[in-house]
Amino acid sequence: MTARGFLRHETILALLVLVALFVLDRQSDRFLTVDNLFNQGRLMTEVGLIAIVMTFVIVTGGIDLSVGSILGMTAILIGVFWKNMGLPLPAAIGMGLVVGAFAGFVNGVIITRFKVPPLIATLGTLALYRGIAEGVSEARSVRGYPEWFFVLGQGELWGAPTQLWIFAAVAIVAAVVLAYTTFGRTTYAVGSNEVAARFSGLGVDGAKIAIYSASGLAAAIAAAIFVSRVSTTRSDMGTGIELDAITAVVLGGTSIFGGRGTIIGTLLGLVLIQSLKNGLSLAGVKSDGTVVLIGAVLILTILISNLVHRDATR
Amino acid sequence: MTVTAPRARRSSVARFVAAYGQEIVIACALIALFIVVSAINPRFLGANNVNTIVSGNAYIAVAAIGMSMIIITGHIDVSVGALIGVLATISGTLAVSGYPVWVAWTAPIFIGAAINGGVGALVAYGRLPSIVVTLGMLSILRGGLVSSTGGAWINDLPPAFQIAQARWFGAPAPIWFMVILTVLAFLWMKNTAFGRSLYAIGGNAEAARAAGIPVERRTVQVFMIHGAFAGIATMLFATQLRVIQSTVPPNLELTIITASVIGGVSILGGTGTVIGSTLAAVLFAAIGSAMIFVNVSAYWLRAVIGLLILVTVLADMARRNREFWSNQR
Amino acid sequence: MLRPSLAAMAVLCLSTGLATAQSAWTGGDDLPTNPLACDGTPATPVSVDYDGGEPTNPPDRAGKAITVVDVPKLIGVGYFDATSKGIAEATAELGNMTATTDGPVEANIDDQITVIDNYITKGVDGILFAANDSVAIAPVLKKALEAGINVVGYDANAEPDARQWFVNQAEFNGVAKSLVDALAAEIGGEGAFAIVTSTFTTPNQARWISEMAAYASACHPNLTWLETVEAQEDNILSFNQANTLINKYGDELKGILGMTSIATPAAADAVTQAGQCGGIAVVGLATPNAMKPYVESDCVKSVVLWNPVDLGYAAAQVLRATADGTLKPGDTSVQAGKLGELQVINGSEILLGAPFVFTKDNIADFDF
Repeated sequence: MTARGFLRHETILALLVLVALFVLDRQSDRFLTVDNLFNQGRLMTEVGLIAIVMTFVIVTGGIDLSVGSILGMTAILIGVFWKNMGLPLPAAIGMGLVVGAFAGFVNGVIITRFKVPPLIATLGTLALYRGIAEGVSEARSVRGYPEWFFVLGQGELWGAPTQLWIFAAVAIVAAVVLAYTTFGRTTYAVGSNEVAARFSGLGVDGAKIAIYSASGLAAAIAAAIFVSRVSTTRSDMGTGIELDAITAVVLGGTSIFGGRGTIIGTLLGLVLIQSLKNGLSLAGVKSDGTVVLIGAVLILTILISNLVHRDATR
Repeated sequence: MTVTAPRARRSSVARFVAAYGQEIVIACALIALFIVVSAINPRFLGANNVNTIVSGNAYIAVAAIGMSMIIITGHIDVSVGALIGVLATISGTLAVSGYPVWVAWTAPIFIGAAINGGVGALVAYGRLPSIVVTLGMLSILRGGLVSSTGGAWINDLPPAFQIAQARWFGAPAPIWFMVILTVLAFLWMKNTAFGRSLYAIGGNAEAARAAGIPVERRTVQVFMIHGAFAGIATMLFATQLRVIQSTVPPNLELTIITASVIGGVSILGGTGTVIGSTLAAVLFAAIGSAMIFVNVSAYWLRAVIGLLILVTVLADMARRNREFWSNQR
Repeated sequence: MLRPSLAAMAVLCLSTGLATAQSAWTGGDDLPTNPLACDGTPATPVSVDYDGGEPTNPPDRAGKAITVVDVPKLIGVGYFDATSKGIAEATAELGNMTATTDGPVEANIDDQITVIDNYITKGVDGILFAANDSVAIAPVLKKALEAGINVVGYDANAEPDARQWFVNQAEFNGVAKSLVDALAAEIGGEGAFAIVTSTFTTPNQARWISEMAAYASACHPNLTWLETVEAQEDNILSFNQANTLINKYGDELKGILGMTSIATPAAADAVTQAGQCGGIAVVGLATPNAMKPYVESDCVKSVVLWNPVDLGYAAAQVLRATADGTLKPGDTSVQAGKLGELQVINGSEILLGAPFVFTKDNIADFDF
């Protein structure tokens, strides 16, 4: 491995994560226990699912600010399909996933067909989807889900929290797709130079629509898990989750300008943020302090990584 | 071989419309809104209500001026809401601690410029993407504000402090601020080398650098100017009520960014004017008020606003694409 | 150019059709209401069995020093700063309890659950909480009970079996009665008013609005509710919304009800700046510090709340009593230090007392 390869952002980040884990472990003996780690994994799944697909979105040079609203809208609709329309719960969840994917599809169409920049398009759909969530629910919550549903968010499967298996599956599939398939290479190409990609005959629009639909689908899966974890639905669910996901993705080394980024990086970013939130709290730092520290860590990590890659123009 | 006649030159009116298309769209939408809603409830057009709409939201338009400059230069700032919250608390604290009101008004402008100058330096010289730095800044400012104040109310502000409630020559002070600052910023962006350099940097930073524009220095400067505008917006924001709560106003950065972007400032950098962002800020405020006048069910308010944003954006993109293709002939 | 304008107008026209006729006031929830008698005779207390949760195998904490975490809806607002002060007062008095206040920086369920979860892992003896959502917080509180931690809530309840006790600052129907009576007293038995609330999803606000609707239709039927507007937690938005209401209804609007410490002062300022003090009554829930300028200028006659410092104090005392075992399921009252004896109502709730009304005479005595 050359020196340059050794100093990749992901490597630096991995070192940072190890340092953080070590320091936090010193501060509290409850931190590195299997129970706690599984628990943190449980709490991290919703953001994690969204961040993994967000990696694809940002690698293409785009962004999706509407994921939080899609989460909220899907959560409400699952409740509406089940309680108000009387569908059996699995069907309601399935319909919810379809709606989420469709919402992402709409994003993709607005961005490709109408050529609206992703930031603006998803800024508009952020308001629209959240508004639909509020309007449909009229601010009422849906409660009283059957017990078996809570296994998804609160229960265990084969010894580990149920949602972690889903998260692991999605992460592995995403990593393989991004790194080893044609679709993954198309994604990188679109992000590096969209015009060149188009002229090379790559299906740029199709890829983008697929990616934004996947982003919506990920938000919908996260919604189902979230509802199961807290046993209720609210129209304000998922507010602000897009910024958490983007922070994890960017921290993981994905360039906001597109063309660069890995799933491993995003996972490391997620682990770092979650470890800080948990470890600092166990060490006695309160929420406001933790928030400041995470902001500082974000800036410092990217700064250090940039300094190491001094010759990179981006 | 046939020779086609040269295309007729476009009239100057057509060129004006092409250059300021988005601003015209928004102005028309605003007028249409007023006509339609006043037909339903004439009180919408009353002096008090127009004042509420324009004056009560002038601070958003002022902040959007700075944000527009940032976006034109090809960057973004998601921490401006938290910054205004922090500056408002500082302003109020100075006012109740016995400092003269002009200090309480102007200190936030300098502090805002300084803080954002730091952000600009990280972006320009540290080569950090602006979204990363401002995301981090957002957390730092918000956490810092909570730690240091616990959300306390500042409530014995001296009456002289309330500049947003003053009236000059018959119009409320915020309207004067908004109009004068917008016009000045517009002229400055269009007619000075500094202003034009921002468009150049946003369009193509490398080309701008090759043309001799000091890109890094400009970036820091534009962030400082944006911080100063946030400070001016704070003046209007903090003095509107007789009490100040030391918290971050929710969603403010999204509102400001939306106003800039709908106003025609392209997120791709390089085009748009601050007149557009001011008009868009007023349009949003008017829509919010209109929803209440027209009795839209309160539960569907946000959906309707979101739909309107999308419609405006789609219509504008359709217009631009049509423009683009018609120019190809 | 014409198209977006036409589209916008079309959307507007379509949306007027979306104004659904709500029989109850907009912003209320759909839980059953229980209005008090119009003349203030207290309802005969119905004896309800204890319905709170139980910690699993809690260690014997009687008389021993315990660590407690207080997780309010969010930190960084004056109201929960005040409850935190009350808790600190109690711990200083008791001497054998240490309490830390730590909560989310924004009022959302996810962050609050994460904070509580972290403290369960860390290992505390007791948890005090004010829930952002009564159902969403239940799973993590039940986890705390299973870990043998004592759980007591205040201000905003959770599902009964997720906590041992809930210190209720004032019954929902009591608050509703105080607000509506104060409004009716100022504008006369007849008049139209509007409500400014935070969001429609905040449980307490939604409960109060429902109870107010029920009480008003029973005891002040000639009061006309006009509409409810949301203003999030945004001061200026609340101000603008209140102004819009004033502009829209003109002389028809006789009163504005503010449902939060953000909405009420903003509404008062709107009325003041519109020169309508005296013409439009402003009544609402708010902390005294937010309202001092308006009460002192006589624009607002009464502000309804309770004493959040006392609320925090009582909550801490109740937790101590629970941990010591002096407060057991089935008890009908509890000793709460300087507050004296507090009654147990609704099975597992402890009532702080009647709502408190701040007026010009007493508002200067309070600092929160």
